[in-house]
Amino acid sequence: MRYKSQSVAYWYFAVAMVLFGLQLVFGLLSAAKYLGPDPLLYILPFDVTKVIHTNLLIVWVLTGFMGATYWLIPDESRTELHSVKLAYLQLILWTGMGVTAIIGYLFRYGTGNKLLEQPLPHKIVIVICMLIFLYNISMTIKKSGRFTTTEGVLLIGLFSSAVLFFPALLHYENYTVSIFYRWWTIHLWVEGVWMMIMGSFLAYLLIRLSGADREVMEKWLYVIVGLVFIAGILGTAHHYYWVGVPQYWLPIGGLFSALEPAALAGMAAFAYAAMRRSGLAHPNTLALHWTIGSAVFALFGAGLLGLAHTWPAVNKWTHGTLITAMHGHAAFYGAYAMIVLAMITYVLPKMTNRAENGTTLGYWAFWLQLAGMFGMTLSFATAGLGQVYLERIMGMGYLDAQLKIQVHFLMLIATASVFTVGVALFIYDFFRYRPHFETSEETLVTTTGHERTA
Amino acid sequence: MTNRQARIFAIASTAIAALAFLVLTLDSHRQFGELTNADAITPEVTHGKDVWHKYNCINCHTLFGEGAYYAPDLTKITQHRGDAYLTAYMRDPSKFYDEKIHRRLMPTQDLSEKEIADLIKFLDWVANVDNQGWPPRPITVTGSGMSSGVVAQRQPEGTTPVDAEDDPRAKGEQIFRTAQPGCTSCHSIEPGVDMAGPSLAGMATRAEETLNSPEYEGDATDIEGYIRESIVAPSAHLVPGEMYSSGGTSFMPTGYDESLSEDELSQLTAYLATLK
Ligand code: HEC
Ligand code: HEC
Ligand code: HEM
Ligand code: HEM
Ligand SMILES: [Fe+2]
Repeated sequence: MRYKSQSVAYWYFAVAMVLFGLQLVFGLLSAAKYLGPDPLLYILPFDVTKVIHTNLLIVWVLTGFMGATYWLIPDESRTELHSVKLAYLQLILWTGMGVTAIIGYLFRYGTGNKLLEQPLPHKIVIVICMLIFLYNISMTIKKSGRFTTTEGVLLIGLFSSAVLFFPALLHYENYTVSIFYRWWTIHLWVEGVWMMIMGSFLAYLLIRLSGADREVMEKWLYVIVGLVFIAGILGTAHHYYWVGVPQYWLPIGGLFSALEPAALAGMAAFAYAAMRRSGLAHPNTLALHWTIGSAVFALFGAGLLGLAHTWPAVNKWTHGTLITAMHGHAAFYGAYAMIVLAMITYVLPKMTNRAENGTTLGYWAFWLQLAGMFGMTLSFATAGLGQVYLERIMGMGYLDAQLKIQVHFLMLIATASVFTVGVALFIYDFFRYRPHFETSEETLVTTTGHERTA
Repeated sequence: MTNRQARIFAIASTAIAALAFLVLTLDSHRQFGELTNADAITPEVTHGKDVWHKYNCINCHTLFGEGAYYAPDLTKITQHRGDAYLTAYMRDPSKFYDEKIHRRLMPTQDLSEKEIADLIKFLDWVANVDNQGWPPRPITVTGSGMSSGVVAQRQPEGTTPVDAEDDPRAKGEQIFRTAQPGCTSCHSIEPGVDMAGPSLAGMATRAEETLNSPEYEGDATDIEGYIRESIVAPSAHLVPGEMYSSGGTSFMPTGYDESLSEDELSQLTAYLATLK
């Protein structure tokens, strides 16, 4: 750690870890209800556990993004944060918002709009937190006068995320129109501006870990951003097929969303090339596992499994089945959970007393999570294929088809348990070393062999 | 490629895509009114939508295929179920489904009568939105597939088309699968497979028994007459069962006497009379 104020990142990560653990509790509860019967039907029904599961996901991933940004900006701009107080205020407001929203959901206090269930007061607090955040990092950069491309992409990604949240604050009379704009937030986040955030974390990590040349990395970052938006913006239409919009969205959605994997392939290639060309310049091989893992798993979960059902002729049959859940899990985990875990793993040795190259427990956490999530993806996939075939093609009733695919739900719970053990180890490994926040200079070897400070 | 070229590529492609997207969005707004029957969005429909949101239905069900995957899609539910059925169901789902059999049950939601009525109006508005014919085949709540629910509004590929020379009973079978609301979303023709309506296996035999029993109060005198009466005036005689009727009103939709022609009705009746 080179700047004292970077220590705020630790507390963001700590909050993210706790919420991540909690997310899985509610995921497992939801999955158990697939098997049924449900003894908690009137205490904690499926809709409640599911809304808490997905909301905790969004909150912890964003907390992770914020923490990682508060770490990255001082490093890149070579200065202390503009205001540590504001950063803590933001964390308190944000966590308070998250926790009260979850408590509210227990009583079905929410908007009932998928993934945007946060009640209006909470949405307003979200906006306030975003404003504090953007102000704080902009001021930091402004004060330092040093603004790198990596930071630029990250900042635009964060700023656009805030802007794209606005359609979610409005009220629509027409349900179809409200769906139309829901995707401006959800789709343009995960397949647009969050990709910028992921790309910049990836570039940051690869530059540090592999010692790849900054010039080259930043050039590729631009190319990736270009690819993301060529495909991703018009690709929004893959959510418009069956919701009551004009027919021309079908070919547009099919064509452009089919191009979306290009950016993900670009990121994986970017990571691979950096490793091949520059090798390993940093002892933290565990962080490298997470970094490369994220690029590869995102290509699999978002790119490949997204492509699998994005064409209208396929989506017509798979739309709104467990196939969507298969893709949602693999994509979210690979792209956003893993990149946050990569940042945490990179940062932790600099803030706690632990070996740079990662603990044995840390490696167990990595492989168990990977195996578990892969198994969960397969379980959702086989359950989903069964559902599509029996319910959508053969015309079997929904409830009867679900009974026939029970075995895949058992497999889901088994693999999810493996995953949960992996996450538990990660969380335990996170908290078992006390943080210490001394600053120190670090050196970094570039490809040309010259020593320079990071 | 230089750094500068890469940057121009990023900015230009984003700008072009965003512009195209905005233009198409404006054009969509021009068409939303017609595609979604926006004039049919009455205050009741809007209130029904608020009820849908208030009770978090989206986190168990899907609507337009969006939501959660724990419970059936409801996009076209009002084409499968009548008002009376849905009203009674929303009051108490446990009278309709058994958690021991299907291992899932919708919790009773304590909706007011007004909320239920408007919710159904909202769902009916949804069912009539022009959404490119999705789902391609009806999604039913229960049923074993194969013999039931296989067909949508349109003829499925690979079935024999029924033409004027065919036997009336074959045409009747076709109507059984294609009438709106679909008979097959509530009735199977397999013994013991009761869905929202009783299985019609052995219909002819049962009709005869019913006609001969002292409880029968309808006007029919023969098997075909009874079946016909069951279709055009479902409440004339009620098959017992809490999930089939309430307060003397059958949950089977009325209006088939208007949506089906006289010929179609007799073909349908002739077909059902073959189920011995
Ligand atoms: C906890 C999950 C859950 C919630 C919340 C929920 N449902 Fe359901 N719903 C189900 C399940 C499961 C079924 C399948 C039938 C059964 O087992 O009761 C169902 C079935 C239905 C049906 C079809 C019944 C039939 O036989 O055709 C309708 C209509 C329906 N729900 C409407 C709603 C509405 C409206 C809401 C919100 C007010 C809602 N549901 C909330 C779980 C839920
Ligand atoms: C929304 C569900 C629903 C739909 C759709 C439906 N029915 Fe029914 N049907 C019922 C219910 C419930 C009963 C039992 C209550 C009663 O006697 O009316 C019933 C009863 C019957 C009976 C009498 C059975 C007996 O044993 O006496 C016949 C015949 C019948 N339906 C035929 C049809 C036909 C033909 C169609 C399509 C044109 C159809 N139904 C559509 C729900 C439905
Ligand atoms: C990191 C990137 C991605 C993430 C996190 C992600 C996540 C998700 C999630 C959570 C959903 C469900 C949304 C809902 O129903 O509310 C979804 C749906 C969908 N995604 Fe992605 N996705 C990503 C990338 C992609 C890509 C690249 C493609 C296409 C190539 C794609 C294709 C789809 C399609 C077609 C659906 C709709 C499924 C349906 O019809 O039910 N996704 N995605
Ligand atoms: C213990 C592990 C987990 C289990 C058992 C689990 C289970 C579930 C279940 C049952 C649902 C509801 C699907 C439905 O609507 O029917 C769900 C939704 C979802 N979960 Fe998980 N989950 C787990 C971990 C995760 C993780 C780690 C992530 C992301 C990083 C995640 C992301 C999501 C998303 C995005 C949805 C919404 C999907 C959609 O609507 O298409 N889950 N999960
Ligand atoms: Fe998308």
